[in-house]
Amino acid sequence: MFSLREALIGLRRNGVMTFIAIGIMFFSLFLLGAFLWGTFNLFGVINLAREKVEINAFLRESLPQKQVEELSEKLMSMVGVESVEYVSKEEALKKFQEEIQDAPSLIEAVKTNPLPASFSIKLKDGFTSPEKVKEVSEKIKIFDEFIAVEYGESWINRLDKVVKILFLFDILLGIVIGFASVFVVSNTIRLTVLARKRTIEVMKLVGATEKTIHAQFILAGAIEGGVAAAMSGGLLYLIYQVSSKFFVKFYFPHDFIIIGTIVFGLILGMIGSKLAVKTTSKEMKFESPNV
Amino acid sequence: MIEIRNVSKRFKKGWYALKNIDISIAKGDFLFLTGQTGSGKTTLLRLIYMDIFPDEGEVAVAGFLSSTIKEEEIPFLRRRIGIIFQDFKLLKDKTVYENVAFALEVTGQSGRKMREKVMKALTLVGLSHKRNDFPYTLSGGEQQKTAIARALVREPFILLADEPTGNIDPEGSEEIIKILQEVNTAGTAVLMATHGVELAKRMGGRFINLEQGQITTK
Ligand SMILES: Nc1ncnc2c1ncn2[C@@H]1O[C@H](COP(=O)(O)OP(=O)(O)OP(=O)(O)O)[C@@H](O)[C@H]1O
Ligand SMILES: [Mg+2]
Repeated sequence: MFSLREALIGLRRNGVMTFIAIGIMFFSLFLLGAFLWGTFNLFGVINLAREKVEINAFLRESLPQKQVEELSEKLMSMVGVESVEYVSKEEALKKFQEEIQDAPSLIEAVKTNPLPASFSIKLKDGFTSPEKVKEVSEKIKIFDEFIAVEYGESWINRLDKVVKILFLFDILLGIVIGFASVFVVSNTIRLTVLARKRTIEVMKLVGATEKTIHAQFILAGAIEGGVAAAMSGGLLYLIYQVSSKFFVKFYFPHDFIIIGTIVFGLILGMIGSKLAVKTTSKEMKFESPNV
Repeated sequence: MIEIRNVSKRFKKGWYALKNIDISIAKGDFLFLTGQTGSGKTTLLRLIYMDIFPDEGEVAVAGFLSSTIKEEEIPFLRRRIGIIFQDFKLLKDKTVYENVAFALEVTGQSGRKMREKVMKALTLVGLSHKRNDFPYTLSGGEQQKTAIARALVREPFILLADEPTGNIDPEGSEEIIKILQEVNTAGTAVLMATHGVELAKRMGGRFINLEQGQITTK
């Protein structure tokens, strides 16, 4: 209780220092939270694109219904296959006509239906890389009911490249922001502890144990880090609310971003002050100035 | 209560800040530690409250030995001695009362008994009427009185004073020394480091003079 009271009194009576420290930590934790949020959304977009990856397997003419059904079941049971959708000749034609709507003369030219029926096969997460898609489609090719199997190879290759670059960039940015915020927060905390060096000195002078000295500063650090983190979490949430009302509805995993930021701020505040008090207290000597 | 046996302290190789010091301080002694600047007075006091340790010899304080004391035990040694400095070392974000109470609170004391002890110490130095003032509103003498109250609130067996009047005008200094004498009469030993040999002689106390780390007069 003494430690908590002293921590609060210290924060209040050194108001300017506390204010500046919380401000700096708020800013760097906000950056970190915004980065995490951005990363979540980036991966959301990538997943959307990946869901578009599909294999089209074109069927021979006039296969009996039963054979088609059996084939569909066989495809379904293959490793990595998420769903199998049958596209009949008629549906294929309709799709084709919709796609070339702008050229009505072409539609008329199509008297008989030259398009084959097909299976459109979606793949599970983790099977959408170029190598995996190729692997699965090679296996599908083995069935001789199909005249052709294709999957937009060049498009998938390009997507994969873009994803890899984005991923690398994101990780690098994450490392930079992560280190920067750990550095800024722990240094800010260290400065607030150093500003109260005299308190540590007096505590040692009157016979406080290291535990008592540490407790007060760890609590103060936790409060500063926690408040700063709660503020940044709150601001991120506000931005999310406003943007989803007026612009885009971003993906916002509340628990992860808000609670994650607060826990991070608390822990950083505590560890930062613990280390700072420990070294300050260790190096403390009572040399009064030699006048 | 304090035994300093053949103690030497070096900060640099081959150069002694203190050399072959033997002092013993008994209950109720009043002892001046005189000597020019750099003669080793502060170093000797720091050895007693075990902020530093001797390179040779041994310091024994209230049953704690410099050779065997553990780091975790130092706070308990500090609780048995009161220390004041030339620069007061008050917390400027605390009132006079809070500065004194702090010394008891850090060891878990609280409540009416604690408040009574604080008021008793403040009354002793004649500062109870300024208990709610902050240190920066006080004169140097009043700040040192606050520091004395803080040092005494735990009822130590000895008060160590390192140049306690160094930042205080002559009248204020007289007052501080008078308080130290009263404290001594009440049974607390006092060891006061000071430049002023004349002052020590005038006060008629026992004094030890240091010259370049060695005792010259007993
Ligand atoms: N931490 C240290 N490192 C190196 N030398 C030191 C250290 N502390 C003290 N000294 C040296 O030891 C000698 C004694 O210093 P000390 O502070 O004990 O003198 P003093 O008698 O208290 O002087 P003053 O009257 O000016 O306070 C001085 O020469 C000083 O420079
Ligand atoms: Mg000195």
